[in-house]
Amino acid sequence: MRIATLSLTTFSVEKCKKFLQEFYSEDDNGKKVFKYGAQLVALSHREQVALQVDLDDVAEEDPELVESIRENAKRYTGLFADAIHELLPEYREREVVAKDSLDVYIEHRLMMEQRGHDPTDTRNPQNQYPAELMRRFELYFKPPSTAKPKVVRDVRADSIGQLVTVRGIITRATEVKPMMAVATYTCDLCGAETYQPIQSPTFMPLIMCPSQECVTNKSGGRLYLQTRGSKFIKFQELRIQEHSDQVPVGNIPRSMTIYARGENTRVAQPGDHVAIAGVFLPLLRTGFRQAVQGLLSETYLEAHSITLMNKTEDDELGTAELNEEELRQITEEDFYEKLAGSIAPEIFGHEDVKKALLLLLVGGVQQAPKGMKIRGNINICLMGDPGVAKSQLLSYIDRLAPRSQYTTGRGSSGVGLTAAVMRDPLTGEMTLEGGALVLADQGVCCIDEFDKMADADRTAIHEVMEQQTISIAKAGIMTSLNARCSILAAANPAYGRYNPRKTIEQNIQLPAALLSRFDLLWLIQDKPNAESDLRLAQHITYVHQHCRQPPTHFTPIDMKLMRRYLSLCKRRQPVVPEALADYITAAYVEMRKEARVSKDTTFTSARTLLSILRLSTALARLRLVDVVEKEDVNEAMRLMEMSKDSLQADKSNATRAQRPADVIFSLLRELATEGVAGRGGSGGLVRLAEAEQRCVSRGFTPAQFQEALEEYEELNVWQVNQARTRITFV
Amino acid sequence: MPSSNDWINNPLGVVEEMFVQSNSNPEWEAKVLEYFKGKLKEKQAYSWIPSLNDVPLHYLKPNSLVKFRCLVQDMFDPEFYMGVYETIDPSTKAKVLRFGKYKDVTELRCVPHLQVDLNSRNTVTAERQTFYCVPIPGETLWEAFLNHSHTYARSSQARVVPSTSYIPSRQKRSYEEDDEMDTQPQKQREPHTGGSPQLHANGDSKRQETEAPSGQTTSPSNASSPLDLNFPLPGERGPACLVKVYEDLDSFKLNDMLEVYGILSVNPLLSVLCEEKDPSASLLDPTESMETPEEQRAHDPPASLVPRLHMLHARPLQHNNPLLPSDRAEDQHAFVSSFMVEMASVRAEFLAYLTHILLGDGLAAEYLLLHLISSVYARRDVLPLGKFTLNLSGCPPNSSFTESLHQVIQELVPCTYRLSMTLHNMNSLRLVPRKDYVANRLVSGALQLARNTSLVLDETRLEQGQLDASGVQNITALGNLISWQKVDYDFNYHQMEFPCNINVFVTSEGRSLLPSDCQVPLQPQVTPPNLEEYLSTVHKAQLTSQINKFRVYLSVAQTLDYSISDEVTKAVEDDFVDMRKDDPQSVSAEDLHRMLVVARLLSLSLGQTSLSREGWMRAKHIDMLRRTRSQPQTTVNGNEP
Repeated sequence: MRIATLSLTTFSVEKCKKFLQEFYSEDDNGKKVFKYGAQLVALSHREQVALQVDLDDVAEEDPELVESIRENAKRYTGLFADAIHELLPEYREREVVAKDSLDVYIEHRLMMEQRGHDPTDTRNPQNQYPAELMRRFELYFKPPSTAKPKVVRDVRADSIGQLVTVRGIITRATEVKPMMAVATYTCDLCGAETYQPIQSPTFMPLIMCPSQECVTNKSGGRLYLQTRGSKFIKFQELRIQEHSDQVPVGNIPRSMTIYARGENTRVAQPGDHVAIAGVFLPLLRTGFRQAVQGLLSETYLEAHSITLMNKTEDDELGTAELNEEELRQITEEDFYEKLAGSIAPEIFGHEDVKKALLLLLVGGVQQAPKGMKIRGNINICLMGDPGVAKSQLLSYIDRLAPRSQYTTGRGSSGVGLTAAVMRDPLTGEMTLEGGALVLADQGVCCIDEFDKMADADRTAIHEVMEQQTISIAKAGIMTSLNARCSILAAANPAYGRYNPRKTIEQNIQLPAALLSRFDLLWLIQDKPNAESDLRLAQHITYVHQHCRQPPTHFTPIDMKLMRRYLSLCKRRQPVVPEALADYITAAYVEMRKEARVSKDTTFTSARTLLSILRLSTALARLRLVDVVEKEDVNEAMRLMEMSKDSLQADKSNATRAQRPADVIFSLLRELATEGVAGRGGSGGLVRLAEAEQRCVSRGFTPAQFQEALEEYEELNVWQVNQARTRITFV
Repeated sequence: MPSSNDWINNPLGVVEEMFVQSNSNPEWEAKVLEYFKGKLKEKQAYSWIPSLNDVPLHYLKPNSLVKFRCLVQDMFDPEFYMGVYETIDPSTKAKVLRFGKYKDVTELRCVPHLQVDLNSRNTVTAERQTFYCVPIPGETLWEAFLNHSHTYARSSQARVVPSTSYIPSRQKRSYEEDDEMDTQPQKQREPHTGGSPQLHANGDSKRQETEAPSGQTTSPSNASSPLDLNFPLPGERGPACLVKVYEDLDSFKLNDMLEVYGILSVNPLLSVLCEEKDPSASLLDPTESMETPEEQRAHDPPASLVPRLHMLHARPLQHNNPLLPSDRAEDQHAFVSSFMVEMASVRAEFLAYLTHILLGDGLAAEYLLLHLISSVYARRDVLPLGKFTLNLSGCPPNSSFTESLHQVIQELVPCTYRLSMTLHNMNSLRLVPRKDYVANRLVSGALQLARNTSLVLDETRLEQGQLDASGVQNITALGNLISWQKVDYDFNYHQMEFPCNINVFVTSEGRSLLPSDCQVPLQPQVTPPNLEEYLSTVHKAQLTSQINKFRVYLSVAQTLDYSISDEVTKAVEDDFVDMRKDDPQSVSAEDLHRMLVVARLLSLSLGQTSLSREGWMRAKHIDMLRRTRSQPQTTVNGNEP
């Protein structure tokens, strides 16, 4: 039995050796590249410390071996290490300069051994140099790429001893401490050296010298620990906790202890997202604790590789797995409507707004011709009466976007949004602390209650919205931070509710400089409309009646799937073909012309043109194509038009509803205030002739004017003097 | 077969017997569960098992079967234990198979030379999880008391001075100490769970003597810094418990209310382990333990303070009203249907009572009633349905009106808590639970409450001043709770959303700064010269039997099913469209939502399980009344709804 295992060991060592020596890949020129051979040379020259055996490579040679390694990783680590240890001398090409005292120490021992070597002298195994002491390399396995990372809570008792990969967030990291791997002792009488390899976290130091001399003489030589001759390795203990999205609802995230040694230490810090491959092992207790706690065994993961990743990469990992079935599910016909409908499905209606938000998530293509940067991110501002689910839309986008920040205008100052310079209380150094916009770099920044923000703070956003950077020149720090984020703002109209009797500027009360930076400006209004009211009522009552969403013609796409699809879309870089350029310019010229005629209140400027380009590239991205088509441009312009309509439709409604008398009244009042401004406050006084002229020029008949005059006089709003030349406002 | 007494006093013996009989057939585990479940089903078995809530720990027999009514406050990482292990006697080489389930330590101590054979092939490693459970936060005095008397079949008249035997140690916020508790939450906490000095002063000194040592001898190291038992609400007391869960790990959720039946384990060895790990020891031996001292304290507190309970069976509680039969579904059904007949009459009485309390304001009383029976019955994505946060504005400031009101609510609902929104409280209290990575536990906050807890926010106490960062967070947390019925627990690196179901009732002078579903300005019809006296007389005038009826009424109304017929739905829809036609500004989608909730609650309060046209009209009517009342106030306060 014993012999059988022994031969198995040697057999496996041979296998490992063979793999390390013979594995090669071919480079572009067809030359053989010995991946591990080259590393072995580096190892033998002490230029490299860690050797990572990629199990994908092993799989090419011997798929069965991979399985055995994964099942029994700890043992194979030893086998591979033995193999390398035996191979290393063969790969040494030149003398190695000693790097530290342990190198010198080992060198001396080896020399001594060679010099005083006596073939007949069988050394006491205790006195043999243990392999662990002589080895200066570390061996790690890299799990095959086919192995899926596990969730912490899925690593169960049956995974013990296996090579597993887990993902999570580091919540605790101890300092790196030296851990004794081999203890070396010398005897105070005979001077013999004794070695003690240490496997467990604790060890019982040797006291009596076991050498031949001391034992036969019964001299009772005492052993003393030699720090310089002992081998220490770096050791760090980490604790990871599973990601919040891996936790079932209503459960507490679970955590796991990681032991990192050697080169794996100091890789990650608390707060980092990591993927850790390692061997899941039970911790053996010794002594009293074992006796009392014998029933329990603690476990840990012996780290083989720690990979840092950020959250976006994490999501991209998911994208690769977007299989055809899922793709088909998304890219059905009317997928555009479907995707848009899947945004905040609990909010009823607002299809066009949702479409715009979908495009915001995808984003347009950023262009940088000749160093000039034109942003690709789409900024959207939602205006609307209180209680039209603006905040809900925002919070949904916040949840859907892989990277996002949510702030409210009331709670954030300009500094909180951009970046602040802080003095570190400990070192006195100045440090930069990113605000919401910096933190949302490459993502979406949702700002609720945009209108409640102080003007000074709002101007801080101007730079971000167009240049996509934040410049800081404060307290000796001059720098520019990236803030490539889309801004989604929500604002209430200036008077709390949209007042149709006032102009759009009066209602919005945001500076034009800011408004023009928004690609789309939507006014979500709570307009009474029997048909839509009925649908709304049906929707709400259905929810209350059946405690769930009313059946729609489609099922909303799962948030995760959507996120993955969007990140897939983002990889596309569609271009506008030459042929379309003319079409777009023509359309733009047309829009400008229209704007001039209709006394447009929202600005149609060059920025509008860029917005159309952004929207159409975003649409092309959404279709996963590389060329923008005419339909994309049309849809982009339609969205622009709809957003303008949302602002204006109501105005036209309102004017239609107004009687001529009311219009005349407001005209006169305007005239009166003009007069006040011009003459320095002589009160609401208007010359009748002047007023009549003004009204006639606006297309009212004198009869209408007289009618209005009388009507409002009756109401005691104004008084007309006896000679009927002047109107005085009361 | 073991006798009936055995399975309560010596459940491990029963398990042992089954284990031996099974001959290492893994089915023994299922058999054990089956057996205990069967035993518990027997008539009244639920009630004669001693309860950890009522009986002090040192009166309970170790390793006996006990029950514990609790809330899952935290879930620790799973631990691996030896489900089956083999012991070896070094002298005789005799091997014996033993089971490790339902046990904390091996029984090797009794036979000193016995050793565990770590390399045995028969060892089975299994997984179990530990839940940190605390008594249900905010449990009201009557509730705890009734539950208690239920156990001991005592009459409810014994409430005032229990001289002969023990009364629940969880001295709840009684009326007099209410204020001190709010401002100085830590002061009341004692280092040991055993005693409540105020009560023992009643002449039970003998017990006090016996008790004091038991609380202290076990953990001298802890005497200097009392162990934080991590109760969600300040001023709570009672036993916290580490519940070891073996089966159906996934069926339990945080903040679930459970009645756990399990084997009590207070092995002093566990405390020894704990003491052994004082800072000096860990300094000598840093690699010995993976856990920090703080973590040790949190996860392995002395068993005398935090007993271990090995779960055999758990009953999730839908409500914790002891007046309602909760044992079996069919029982409950019968009870509810028999009560349904009375519903309308009890409602009338109850409404009259509330009207008196609310100084003769019938409308406010009606709304308060609706609020008290509200409960989140479904969630549509993020939107919780059925929540009904009430803001009672116009409460007299600087008076004890809210407190008195809370006392009334306390007498009615099983769980309640009054949060006085003083500036100091807002800035200093921890409302949102937070993960402490050093101790690796969830530090509880006042918003970690069981379902249908009534949270009374007293905004009349708010004064002008500066809110600091934590104050703003607390206010935001309250706002989130009200609007979405969720609390974002702080996990330092990220936040996790935990849905909850808490009835929030805000009392304020003007309109509350917190959002609410519905605001009712109080319009007192009577102005008693002495408010407190008035309220207490009204309060005292009620008979206990009547109060009990109200209690049952509230719980029943909360659990009733409800439906809307298609016909009524149609009518409601048309009605809505018509209303919009007349005045679009007057009714919005939110108003419709609210009116549907009001209609639902109104119907349920009358014991009707479906909406009728009259119900809808009534809901519309009282909503209209309320709105006309609050109209002048809204215009004064701004134009936001």
